[in-house]
Amino acid sequence: MADSVAKAEERRLPRVKPATDIIEKEDGFYIYLDMPGVSKEHLVIDLNEDELKVSGKAEYALAEGQKLGHVEFGGGEYFRSFTVSHIVDKERIKASLRDGVLELHLPRQEKAQPRKIEIQAG
Amino acid sequence: MVIDLSPFYGATTPFDRLFETLWPSMAISQRGTAYPPVNIGEDDENLYVRCEIPGMAIADLDLTLTDSSLVIKGERKAERGKYYRQERPTGVFQRVVNISGGVSRDKVTATMRDGLLEVVLPKSDESKPKKISIVTV
Repeated sequence: MADSVAKAEERRLPRVKPATDIIEKEDGFYIYLDMPGVSKEHLVIDLNEDELKVSGKAEYALAEGQKLGHVEFGGGEYFRSFTVSHIVDKERIKASLRDGVLELHLPRQEKAQPRKIEIQAG
Repeated sequence: MVIDLSPFYGATTPFDRLFETLWPSMAISQRGTAYPPVNIGEDDENLYVRCEIPGMAIADLDLTLTDSSLVIKGERKAERGKYYRQERPTGVFQRVVNISGGVSRDKVTATMRDGLLEVVLPKSDESKPKKISIVTV
C-alpha cells in the first residue's frame, strides 16, 4: 500500500521523450539530448548489452510565496532508450552534460574502421 | 541501420514500445507554442521570468529590457556531421515578454543553470503592494 502511494507520487511528473539528434562524425557517433533542468545528480545512463537507457528528472520547485502567472513548461521525467550497434566500442562511450544538453559520444570499434583490402596477384 | 530508435525496433517489451510512442515529444513543431517556453512567476518583491533553453550559454543569449518588455534572443546552432535523426530545434529565436508595472531596471539579474534561464526583475518601490491603514473617526 505504502509502495503504491510512493509510486503515485513519482508519477506526478509527466514522462517526456527528450528531443534527440544523432550525428555521425569522423570519430564516431554523437547523440545529443535536450534535457533542460536536469542536473548531473538526477541523470542516469544505463548500458545493458545493446541497450542504452537515458533517464533524468527535472523538477522546478517554487519558492515560498511565489505564484506562477503564466506557465508553458514544467518539470518532467525524461526517458529515452537506444539500441547500440555492434560497431560501437561500448567500453569507450563517453557522456557529458552541459547547459541542459547531454552529449553521448559513441566511438566506432577499431576493427570497424573501413580498411582497404589488398589484392594479391597470384 | 546503425542505431535505430524507431518505436518498432529494439525497445525491450511491447509495453515499452507503446509507451514510447505515446509520450509527448519535446520537439518544437509538435508542441505548438512559441519558442522558447516561458514561465512567469511573481512574489511580493520580484517578477521571475524562466525559460527553457538547453544548450545555450548565457553569453550567447541576447537579453534586452525595454520600458514594457523583456526580449530574449539567440540562435541555436547545429552540429556538423551526418544526421540520422534531428529533433532538436536550430536557428534564430526571439521571445518578447511583456512586463507590466514598474521594475527597478538596474537591479535585474539573469542566471543560466542546466539549460534553464531565470531572469529576476525586482519590483520598483512604487509598484509594490502597500497596506493602507484605515483610520476610524
